[in-house]
Amino acid sequence: MSKPRVPPRPRKSRDRLTAVPTVGGGLSSRHEGLNAPGGPFADAGQEIQELIDLAKRNNLAELEIEREGVRIRIRRDATAGTPLVSVREVMTAGQDAPKEKPALSSPAEATGYVTVTSPIVGTFYRSASPDADPYVEEGDFVKQGQVLCIVEAMKLMNEIEAEADGRIIKILAESTKPVEYGQPLFMIDPQPAF
Amino acid sequence: MFKKILIANRGEIALRVIRACKELGIKTVAIHSEADAQSLHVTAADEHVCVGPAEDALSYRNIPNVLSAAEITGADAIHPGYGFLAENAHFAEVCESVGVTFIGPTSENIAAVGDKAKARDIMARRGVPVLPGSPGELRNETEALEAARKIGFPVIIKASAGGGGRGMRVVNKEDEVVRAFQAAQSEAKATFGNEAVYLERYFLEPRHIEVQILADVRGRAVFLGERDCSIQRRYQKLVEETPSPAVDDSLRREMGRVAVEAIKAVHYRNAGTVEFLLDKDQHFYFMEVNARIQVEHPITEMVTGIDLIKEQIRIANGLPLAFRQQDIRLSGHSFECRINAECPDKFTPCPGLVTRYHPPGGFGVRVDSAMAAQALVVPHYDSLIAKLITHGQNREEAIARMRRALDEFVIEGIKTTIPLHKRIFSDAEFQKGRVSTGFLERLLADHSG
Repeated sequence: MSKPRVPPRPRKSRDRLTAVPTVGGGLSSRHEGLNAPGGPFADAGQEIQELIDLAKRNNLAELEIEREGVRIRIRRDATAGTPLVSVREVMTAGQDAPKEKPALSSPAEATGYVTVTSPIVGTFYRSASPDADPYVEEGDFVKQGQVLCIVEAMKLMNEIEAEADGRIIKILAESTKPVEYGQPLFMIDPQPAF
Repeated sequence: MFKKILIANRGEIALRVIRACKELGIKTVAIHSEADAQSLHVTAADEHVCVGPAEDALSYRNIPNVLSAAEITGADAIHPGYGFLAENAHFAEVCESVGVTFIGPTSENIAAVGDKAKARDIMARRGVPVLPGSPGELRNETEALEAARKIGFPVIIKASAGGGGRGMRVVNKEDEVVRAFQAAQSEAKATFGNEAVYLERYFLEPRHIEVQILADVRGRAVFLGERDCSIQRRYQKLVEETPSPAVDDSLRREMGRVAVEAIKAVHYRNAGTVEFLLDKDQHFYFMEVNARIQVEHPITEMVTGIDLIKEQIRIANGLPLAFRQQDIRLSGHSFECRINAECPDKFTPCPGLVTRYHPPGGFGVRVDSAMAAQALVVPHYDSLIAKLITHGQNREEAIARMRRALDEFVIEGIKTTIPLHKRIFSDAEFQKGRVSTGFLERLLADHSG
């Protein structure tokens, strides 16, 4: 991997690179929306392409790099044949919250935000299984119909889907905990600014 | 004993069950719709789970959500109360299959007595005196005519899957039979989704007498006196009393014996009520079995001293009855008035905000209610907001207590049936105990006429 063309990084942050191998298949090179100005990956267009090439060459299903509170994940989307590249802000202990992230202390401040509530009684799970990654993280962009979480009731796994496109502002329920009808699960910004 | 019981109901009966659980040291889970989030039964329970929006089909009768609520709270039993899922054989069966105890009769019991035409058949073959009627369902107009001729007029055509006065037609003469049959069928189809009807002899002004029974897992059954529920408007009960002024000791023993016989015929378990019609000549006829705890159960508790909800919980837990028939003593007299949020002239539901609520008290007065000041009466459910129950050493004292309590009862902000109850209790015929099922309609007609 060639050297990233970005400003020198502060010492306290470290790149974390995780990779998950795959069985068969390949990646095509499609990625989106990553080069936020002033961010740690500001000039990262080439770096992203290099990551995708790296994943391809090594037959990886998933590749993730985290730097200064921004995480890029490249995931092979088996059905579409294009990799899903997601960017999210990661909150780590001791790190200041990035200025762009809205501070919500109550839903009343979040005018225009949409709350996704549970349509049934059951147990809330953020991922498909205990060792799988969560379906979504705060900051993720989601598309209409995308699975956000599972609410399990009487051994049946009910996938809860996003009703519209948007960005996950806040996850309001705790994984593996019971939820009742109408309980808030996610706060979504249906018109995220870029 | 159960560790935690989920109450699949709302309002006064949910509170009633929670109270019994608390006294037994059992934890409670209240379920509620979004409309009932601030309800008293929710705050009274240890835990609560919202199970849906206001419409009861999506909340209180939402079987997946109710069972899921039991699962996430770890409840080991469900008490269904009355109405909603209480007589839903499918629900009882699903509870059984997921290992949650349904506090009530078995799903087979519910199915057996739920089909009223079939139940009559079973009872008739068992030797229980049954109202003269068609042997089972009337399949067509010809059968209806034949049955009516055999039984003798007047007759009433009733829905098999019915109740609450719907799907019924009284027929006085032979030439009315066919049209009444067709009308009853279509109303039964529209109201209950099942057009099956049967036919019975119609009595002009019988008394509605019902017998409370309890049966345990060992098949031992007892009866706990009778209740006279003759004061009804359009088949909706308004006032109940025990004992019935028309029933003496020997008739009571006979009706009780027959009631026990009836429920044993279907291997009934837990609490239930056998309904009879009593004609002017002291003949009684089986009508139906109600496979649930009933609204008016408190008056039986007042005269027997037995907590029926606790008995339901004990029986469901597999415990044998702690008393035999000879241990049951009836003492004094008790009345119940159903206080409904209804407009006095048309009896239409009258929802709204209760601005002041102060129930009566004192010796011999009991109020079962989940109402409170500043609480909202919502339009989505039945209009019952309180049950006012009195007990006295005799009928006169129980009446005096009821009149005193009705005067004390303060409910402002909505209209209620309290003024009507005051009229009933000051009526001379009522005070003499001369009441039958036509009484209330006549009282109402007199007043407006």
